[in-house]
Amino acid sequence: MSEAKEKELSVLGVEELIGEVHEKEVQVIAFRLNDELVGVPIEQIIEITNNRDLTPVPKAPSFVIGVMNLRGKIVPVINLKEHLRIPCEIPEDIYQRNKIVILETPKGEVGVIVDEIVGSVKFPESDVLPEPIGTIGIDVKFISGVVQLDRELLILLNVESIFNQEE
Amino acid sequence: MKVEIPEELQEILEEFLVEAEEILENLDQDLVDLESNPEDKELLNKIFRGMHTLKGGAGFLNLTPVVEIAHRIEDIFNKLRNDELKLTPEIMDVILEGIDKLKEALQMLKESQELPDMEEIEGLLSQLDAVLKGESPVSAETSTESSSSPSSEAQKGEELEFVEGISDKLKELIKQFPDKDLAGILEEIILMPPDRRPMDVIPEVEKLIEEGKDVKDLIKKKEPSGGETEKQPSPQKSETPPAATSETARTPAEKTPASKQKTSKKQEKKSSETIRVDVERVENLMNLVGEIVLDRNRILRVTQDVEKECRGEAVEKLVEAVTSLDRTVSDLQVAVMKLRMQPIKKIFSKFPRLVRDLARKLNKKVQLIIEGEDTELDRSILDKLEDPLIHLVRNALDHGIEPPEERVAKGKPEVGTIRLFAYHEGDHIVVGIQDDGRGIDPEKVKKKALEKGLITPEQAAQMSDKEAYELIFLPGFSTADKVSDVSGRGVGMDVVASTIHSLRGSIEIDSEPGKGTTILLKLPLTVAIIRTLMLGCNGQVYAVPLHSVVEIVRYQEEQVKEVGSFRSFMLRDEVLPLFSLNELLEVPDNNQKAFVVIVKVGEKLIAVSIEKLFGEEEIVIKSLGELLSDIPGIAGATIAGDGRVVLILDLNSLLADYKTKLIGVKR
Repeated sequence: MSEAKEKELSVLGVEELIGEVHEKEVQVIAFRLNDELVGVPIEQIIEITNNRDLTPVPKAPSFVIGVMNLRGKIVPVINLKEHLRIPCEIPEDIYQRNKIVILETPKGEVGVIVDEIVGSVKFPESDVLPEPIGTIGIDVKFISGVVQLDRELLILLNVESIFNQEE
Repeated sequence: MKVEIPEELQEILEEFLVEAEEILENLDQDLVDLESNPEDKELLNKIFRGMHTLKGGAGFLNLTPVVEIAHRIEDIFNKLRNDELKLTPEIMDVILEGIDKLKEALQMLKESQELPDMEEIEGLLSQLDAVLKGESPVSAETSTESSSSPSSEAQKGEELEFVEGISDKLKELIKQFPDKDLAGILEEIILMPPDRRPMDVIPEVEKLIEEGKDVKDLIKKKEPSGGETEKQPSPQKSETPPAATSETARTPAEKTPASKQKTSKKQEKKSSETIRVDVERVENLMNLVGEIVLDRNRILRVTQDVEKECRGEAVEKLVEAVTSLDRTVSDLQVAVMKLRMQPIKKIFSKFPRLVRDLARKLNKKVQLIIEGEDTELDRSILDKLEDPLIHLVRNALDHGIEPPEERVAKGKPEVGTIRLFAYHEGDHIVVGIQDDGRGIDPEKVKKKALEKGLITPEQAAQMSDKEAYELIFLPGFSTADKVSDVSGRGVGMDVVASTIHSLRGSIEIDSEPGKGTTILLKLPLTVAIIRTLMLGCNGQVYAVPLHSVVEIVRYQEEQVKEVGSFRSFMLRDEVLPLFSLNELLEVPDNNQKAFVVIVKVGEKLIAVSIEKLFGEEEIVIKSLGELLSDIPGIAGATIAGDGRVVLILDLNSLLADYKTKLIGVKR
């Protein structure tokens, strides 16, 4: 259902009736970690930035790359690959090269470094399939489901469980 | 028991909770005062009024358990102030238990919209009832004739007979509030929800009060003996009420309106001078001001650049405007900071009760003297100060103050004294605890530390008394021979010390065996904005709070000596342990040192070598967020003029790992 149509329907006050028939849509921002295509629901994304001024934090856990200034707020930036325990080599120019996605997490705003932003993807909620076991490198507890897109598989990350784990 | 509060009453509930909290907080202090001065009518009235207000509010919101408890305590105080009951420590214990239950109930209500079940408080209620019935000898004679007699009768379900000329509605009310005098009933009417408030009864009650009548005069007593009351021909005129009755019944009638007036006046005054503001809003304001401060710094910098590059009238005007902005922002910063200041009374007020309970438990006699309770502190410091203070006061009572016999034998006054005080000292606040107990024996402390393997015998031999006292703050140290349930629960002085250090404060202990101990906590006025030294290490800029820096000197190779595994720095005739900031932060070290910063950690001076020095700056502290909240050595961060994040170092905790090794190193 297009946004305009949805708006029109809610103006007419028939939204509830239709809502049961029509599928809820999910919009995610997709990005790459190594070769995997992963996505995070757009509601949990605060912004995407290429701010390069990261201040390293000595004595912090190794997955913490540094902290950055996000409009006056101090936001930690982490290496998502290491946090998800998938193989990663930190390139020399990690502070310069990659994009940072700022996520809304149970631990506050956290920036994660990703290899490449692919874009925004929309699909009906019913397309989300339960996570397959053992086929991908990411631990299933960090995944809320997968979606088969035209050419490849999109892995939906579960931001809550990623940031609720005790380090 | 879940409490359902309708939407429209939510706001009233919140107001009630704030008010109730205030009442209960004051109550602790008042009750302890009362115990030493049980005849103080002013105090009794104050407590009575507090309970009454609490009950009224709870009644309006239908919080039955709260009403039941508050109601009984109110009655007890009514009796106390009318000399129908005498306050004994036992009664006080029951009352305090009741107050605790009230606090607990309100806490539950606040957190989860729940209240204790009635069954849960039944035991307490019957205890309170027992007190109310007056098991104490004094109350026995008077209570039967007192104003509360109709109440007990009514509670037993006896039918009341009224004299003529009273409206049915008023009769209802008298039955509904059996232990109230007319003024009390009037108050109850006012407290009722508007739609249930019987407006037409009010003039009637007022008229009766004016005529000097009270409930007693309106009721015919139904007594099996056929009784006195019936002898009164026309009680409505009531020219000759029995002496005892008129005296006891009228006192509250006269007092209550007076006291009511007083309270309402007080509330009026308060409401015009203060407003209650959600802490979150103040925090938010504080953050915004922090932002402005940072922006101002940036604008100042840019303006300076502009001034250098171009000249002209416009630039001059800009500089002028920026200078004015600078001043205003500084004022704004101070003003907002003051919003967060609260008198230390907020936590001091909890101590009279704490000390009383503990002293009773430990069978010790202690008087608590509180001084400087109006000293103001930043709210966030205040909140964190409570637990350390409780711990220190407990220690003073448990380990410091001797039992009465021992004190007498030593020629000290039987009653021990604990002083709790606070005062300003420069840009710091000093909070102190002083006791006149047995003091700390430095030799005993050293012995303990040796046993626990915290120091070596050589270190012990070289140690000064002050350094020995410092050992108490080491993790895993406890001087008590056995762990009592009062103090010493595994968390000890080391937790106190780390809390104070995390607030950028310091602790000093002074003790004289046999005479007593004084512990001083020095705390900054505010935690939000601090003066720091900006220094460089491994290509990064770090900020170090200025309060811990004693001196800065140039790094000179010949002043560095290698002593065993440690390096030392010769400063004039002193030898200080030397560390490089790089090794403390565990970052690469290129051994290009330019300066040495001398910092004070506890009683010791320690030299830290650094690569670069950028000077002094006033900064706004920001948290690193929950994910990085407990990284050792990093106290927070700030945003520099160029927008980059600068970490604030906590040298004290950076050095914590080395501290144990350092103690005893002669300086």
